[in-house]
Amino acid sequence: MGNHFQFLQVERHDPEKKSVEIRVKEYREIYGEFDQNRAAEQADRCLHCGNPYCEWKCPVHNYIPNWLQLIAEGNIDEAVELSHLTNSLPEITGRVCPQDRLCEGSCTLNEGGFGAVTIGNVEKYISDTAFDKGWVPDLSKVKDTGKKVAIVGAGPAGLSCADVLARNGVKAVVYDRHPEIGGLLTFGIPEFKLEKEVVMRRRKIFEGMGIEFKLNVEVGKDLSFQDLIDNHDAVFLGMGTYNYMKARIPGEDLPGVYSALDFLISNVNRCHGFEKDKADYIGMQGRHVVVLGGGDTAMDCNRTSIRQGAASVTCAYRRDEANMPGSKREVVNAKEEGVRFMFNRQPVEIVGDDRVIGVKVVTTQLGEPDERGRRRPEVVEGSEEIIMADAVIVAFGFQPSPADWFSDFNIDTDERGRVVAPENGEFKFQTANPKIFAGGDMVRGSDLVVTAIWEGREAADGILGYLDV
Amino acid sequence: MGDDTPFPALSRMVRSPYDNFRQQFAQVTNPPIDPIREQIVMSLETCLGRERNMFDETPEHAARLLVDSPVLSHGKFQQLLEMGKNDNDYASEIISLNYNKDVDLKSAIIDITDKASAAIKNGKVVLVLSDRDIAEDTRPVHALLATGAVHHRLIRDGLRCDANLIIETGTARDPHHFATLLGYGATCIYPYMAFEVLNDLMNTGEIKDGKLTDLEANYRKGINKGLYKITSKMGISTIASYRGSQLFESVGLHQDVVDLCFSGTTNRVSGIKFEDLQADQDLLCKLAWNPRKSINQGGLLKFIHGGEDHAYNPDVVRTMQEAVKSGDYSKWQMYADLVNNRQPLALRDLLKLRDDVDAISVDGVEPMEEIVKRFDSAAMSLGALSPEAHQTLATAMNRLGARSNSGEGGEDPERYGTERRSKIKQVASGRFGVTPAYLRSAEVMQIKIAQGAKPGEGGQLPGHKVNDLIAQHRYCKPGVSLISPPPHHDIYSIEDLAQLIFDLKQVNPDGLVSVKLVAEAGVGTIAAGVAKAYADLITVSGYDGGTGASPLTSVKYAGSPWELGLSETHQILRANDLRGKVRLQTDGGLKTGLDVVKAAILGAESFGFGTGPMIAMGCKYLRICHLNNCATGVATQDNILRSKYYLGEVEWVMNYFRFIAEDVRHLLASLGARSLTEIIGRTDLLVKLEGNTSKQQSLDLSQLVSDGGVSSDKAQYCLEPFNEPFDKGELAEQMVKDAMNAIENRTGGEFSYTVQNIHRSIGARLSGEIAVRHGNLGMEDKPVILKLAGTAGQSFGVWNAGGLHMYLDGDANDYVGKGMAGGKLVIRPPQGSNFDSHETTIIGNTCLYGATGGTLYASGLAGERFGVRNSGCHTVVEGIGDHGCEYMTGGHVTILGKTGINFGAAMTGGFAYVYDEDNNFADCINQDVDIQRMLPENMEAHRNHLRSVIEDFVKETGSNRGQYILDNFTDCVGKFWLVKPKATKLESLMDDLQRRAA
Repeated sequence: MGNHFQFLQVERHDPEKKSVEIRVKEYREIYGEFDQNRAAEQADRCLHCGNPYCEWKCPVHNYIPNWLQLIAEGNIDEAVELSHLTNSLPEITGRVCPQDRLCEGSCTLNEGGFGAVTIGNVEKYISDTAFDKGWVPDLSKVKDTGKKVAIVGAGPAGLSCADVLARNGVKAVVYDRHPEIGGLLTFGIPEFKLEKEVVMRRRKIFEGMGIEFKLNVEVGKDLSFQDLIDNHDAVFLGMGTYNYMKARIPGEDLPGVYSALDFLISNVNRCHGFEKDKADYIGMQGRHVVVLGGGDTAMDCNRTSIRQGAASVTCAYRRDEANMPGSKREVVNAKEEGVRFMFNRQPVEIVGDDRVIGVKVVTTQLGEPDERGRRRPEVVEGSEEIIMADAVIVAFGFQPSPADWFSDFNIDTDERGRVVAPENGEFKFQTANPKIFAGGDMVRGSDLVVTAIWEGREAADGILGYLDV
Repeated sequence: MGDDTPFPALSRMVRSPYDNFRQQFAQVTNPPIDPIREQIVMSLETCLGRERNMFDETPEHAARLLVDSPVLSHGKFQQLLEMGKNDNDYASEIISLNYNKDVDLKSAIIDITDKASAAIKNGKVVLVLSDRDIAEDTRPVHALLATGAVHHRLIRDGLRCDANLIIETGTARDPHHFATLLGYGATCIYPYMAFEVLNDLMNTGEIKDGKLTDLEANYRKGINKGLYKITSKMGISTIASYRGSQLFESVGLHQDVVDLCFSGTTNRVSGIKFEDLQADQDLLCKLAWNPRKSINQGGLLKFIHGGEDHAYNPDVVRTMQEAVKSGDYSKWQMYADLVNNRQPLALRDLLKLRDDVDAISVDGVEPMEEIVKRFDSAAMSLGALSPEAHQTLATAMNRLGARSNSGEGGEDPERYGTERRSKIKQVASGRFGVTPAYLRSAEVMQIKIAQGAKPGEGGQLPGHKVNDLIAQHRYCKPGVSLISPPPHHDIYSIEDLAQLIFDLKQVNPDGLVSVKLVAEAGVGTIAAGVAKAYADLITVSGYDGGTGASPLTSVKYAGSPWELGLSETHQILRANDLRGKVRLQTDGGLKTGLDVVKAAILGAESFGFGTGPMIAMGCKYLRICHLNNCATGVATQDNILRSKYYLGEVEWVMNYFRFIAEDVRHLLASLGARSLTEIIGRTDLLVKLEGNTSKQQSLDLSQLVSDGGVSSDKAQYCLEPFNEPFDKGELAEQMVKDAMNAIENRTGGEFSYTVQNIHRSIGARLSGEIAVRHGNLGMEDKPVILKLAGTAGQSFGVWNAGGLHMYLDGDANDYVGKGMAGGKLVIRPPQGSNFDSHETTIIGNTCLYGATGGTLYASGLAGERFGVRNSGCHTVVEGIGDHGCEYMTGGHVTILGKTGINFGAAMTGGFAYVYDEDNNFADCINQDVDIQRMLPENMEAHRNHLRSVIEDFVKETGSNRGQYILDNFTDCVGKFWLVKPKATKLESLMDDLQRRAA
């Protein structure tokens, strides 16, 4: 560490954001990049706490202070190796992680009021810079074990599992029903947060490591699960959660009401030429859009609507701003881009006869905390109002979508439909069927990209143990 | 904020066998050495070759090979092996430490010792024990086990002096590793792996620029310095006397292992067996030979996910802060559960409270207010802590009716008598800010013999933390690094400690004296001595205490768990009928009420807390206290960080202690006890838990929970309010009686007495009475003058206050003017004596230690360490012994004759004039000072000053020597040197002097 007082003398600086005028016209990432000096200067703000709270809070427990120091010293080669020791997709978590709730949120400097170290952007800088220099993982010391594992789902859990397996000499074959790898990274997260080239670049690296991708293959439809089991030494399921949560209010089935994921995927499909049928596209141009929900997916819908040229975008959320579940940073970005927020509003009905004309909401106030510590919204009597809208996007989160063939293979699910694969079993993330492992949202319920990465990696460790390699 | 990781026997990780050994250190029985400032006495020189009969003298005796350090470079190691090929005096044999994995470890070790013994019998001299030729189907015997076993085997076979053990090992990395190998008999060590790591660090760019040979040389230099530090802790100055000395306590090794490899080492808790060590090695090898396992990121020094357990991990810190900020006891219980139900990390975690006793209602237990009275905050100085944090802590403790500890660094007199005062005033080896008024403001005066974080070592407050405020309280100049020496220079033995205790009781007869020790084997015996030296309180700290500023090498390996030290102390005090005379305190990582209750059961009646209250006021355990950049404003002197980012509140700290006390009440109720007193020493209330790992299960804690075979009717806790000294100080009492009016009315006066050497600490009683009424210097203009004749005992004029002038015709013992803050001490030969005063000793050793002001004139020679840590006294003597003006930070010293060696070591302030008649003073100075002649034109002010100083001296003492110099001043002045710290500018010396006078 160079300057012990860097954190006081140099303020926290994120890379510059593009101006709103430019942002809302394009599907590009909105943050610029660090150059070497800026990255080093920001990384040097780290205090190297005796208790690295960032690392502790990070779901994959990245060695954050260690690679910050390497970047402060300009040692990109070591930093990229260290960063990949704990994380399979650091360039992606650097972009999409809600750092303000995780590493940066628990950074001593953040809590002290100095402004957290820009951990996410340094993480992104490390991989981007190393990739530009042509860095690829060194697998020269890996001995082929002759084992082969099938992975269902090319989302963050599946990719991370494949990464760890490949680094340990196990052949990973990844199946996905979509035409491109990434799962929600590609099809769910909009380009202004994660440009698709980033995922493509990672695909090349993975392919270079010997990971095989079989895309446009839906297991259970195009290929029987029995075939997978028979032809591989183990199988990992990382199929995510795709059932969207219903609002369970009248009018929900009216034309003009959309699920968040349908909306987001259709937009990616159009932008990247994956569209199978033009009618699948959900466009918001010129429409008055109301987004229901307050999480990261809601922000994605808000901001995508803006870019599509919506006449207005209103986000209605039933708690107050402080109790929003998603990244604060995304809320700020959404506000900048012109999204109107209505807090403490709970939808009770979607209004309209043959199509949507508005959303009836009631005002809420926060009551006692629930069992998870979040305060329950309570309805204020006589506060009904109608927000006019001609399109409504429901972004209330996702629920597990267990495949109908699970029971045929002795894959147990719990009462919420999540696959049972305990993290602390003999082999981590093993299902009731010893040959089958599972991780990510389908086990935990919908959660962050980075937790899916953790589970994919841990499951790989479980598989390696199971295969005794 | 010291070491918060478990001992190897408790750990669930594979830990190095080196970690089982705790370095022994000197406390009270003899002084540790300052290896940096007294480098002149330190040596790592190592001889190779056979030792011969020391009563003979033959040419062969000269056939020894000398290396300057036992840490060999690649070149030297190769050279030694080469020599072995043709020179029979160094004939060598390499013995591999790797053995077939199907053999058991113990047999493998015995096999190695067989080979070693046979080789020496065959005429070999240099035995190389090497773990270098690793293979997948062999296992290495750990170098330490092999070294110790071979060493003892050769002793048994009568061959030890014919052999040198060279250890070629990958296991030795930090100084402690080297020290343990040496302590168990290694002659030299070749740490090939450490060199490989340096190479790798260079290749990966983690070490930039520099040649590998330089890196290796720097590394060896670092290890050498570390070895100096470790040996000096025990007061040992040469590596030859450390080698084979086994100055360690082993904690948690099975007795069988100790008997074979470390025979004779204190091993009170038997544990890890050969089988466990072998299983560890198997696990390591499995990881090592598996190419897919990456090198782990550590975790011993800092918390790392998946690494070693840490008692103050992020969860613990967070939960505790939430609890004390909210004041919500249910949140506190979440914290307490986290701590109490953690994986066993300290010895006490393997002991649980009995649950088969009849509980009583909590309402029947003594109230929280009674319990918190037993709580002290551990010593943390203003300097270590920011003033805001220091006062928060003091205020919280005072409001609770508990006590806070000033630490070493003085206290703003504004705080005396207010709720911001520290009731415990510390007296540490630097004596910073220790004045009569400071001592009089104390309820307890604590002598810090050692501290848990770094027992046997001194301290240092880096210059960048010494701002104006700190400098003012410590009587020094801002920006200058302040050093606390490893030893108290007035405590080289238990008798000396008794003297210091007496000094303190004289200056403040109402105060209690506490002595802080650190747990190690034998601390009980030391404590018994301390009790007999009339201390009122004894603190036994665990290894885990200490600050986040301590060097990592110190934090890790010295000191034992307080559980061991406390139970040993309690048992020995009881066995010697001393327990009823002293209060016993323990500290070191106490976190919850359960810790307090267990400590009480093991014998403590008072409890110290350091890190806990710091975290309660916002510290986040950053461990950067030494950098002055503490982002929580707790441990920094930086104005911005203190004023804007320190958020701590008194209430948070109070909540912390209230919650602990509340815990204690509930636990007492469950034990059927109405007060803490009832359970002190009741070891029958503890039961050993099974433990979760093989190592934990084999731990034998029976010594901890025994009553030491002491009859149950002997006292379990202190029964007397004071530990009254035998010496009633009757002459001093008479003086107080005589002079009381003069002091109370601030009139001054003159009194005469005859003194003998049984009259110790003369003047201190009066100084205390002056200081408590008028402050340190408030009576300077109306002095009480004592005319004394005879030989004064130890500590003449100790803690002398402004307003006490003592003229002694005769001589005095050691410690004259120690800690004096003002006034005047004049010592001159009796009228009519016919010896040459400048050749005759008139005062003893360590005079003016920690003095902050006043004047001392002694017409004669002073002993060793004259003016050590002086920071303000002006003095003239006619000659001194070795190590004069060591660690001096202010004041000014004139010596009209010879000095000993090492003059001015670590002198960072003040200056001296030295009369060098024989022109050899230049050989006597330490490199920390520079000297110049007084003749040049620009020295005129100094020449005038010198003359007036001597004139004054002659006026007061009638010194012939002084008169002679004045009479021949033009000639003599050319023989004077001006001595000043290297970093001080010449021009500033007189300014500082005038400023002090103003």
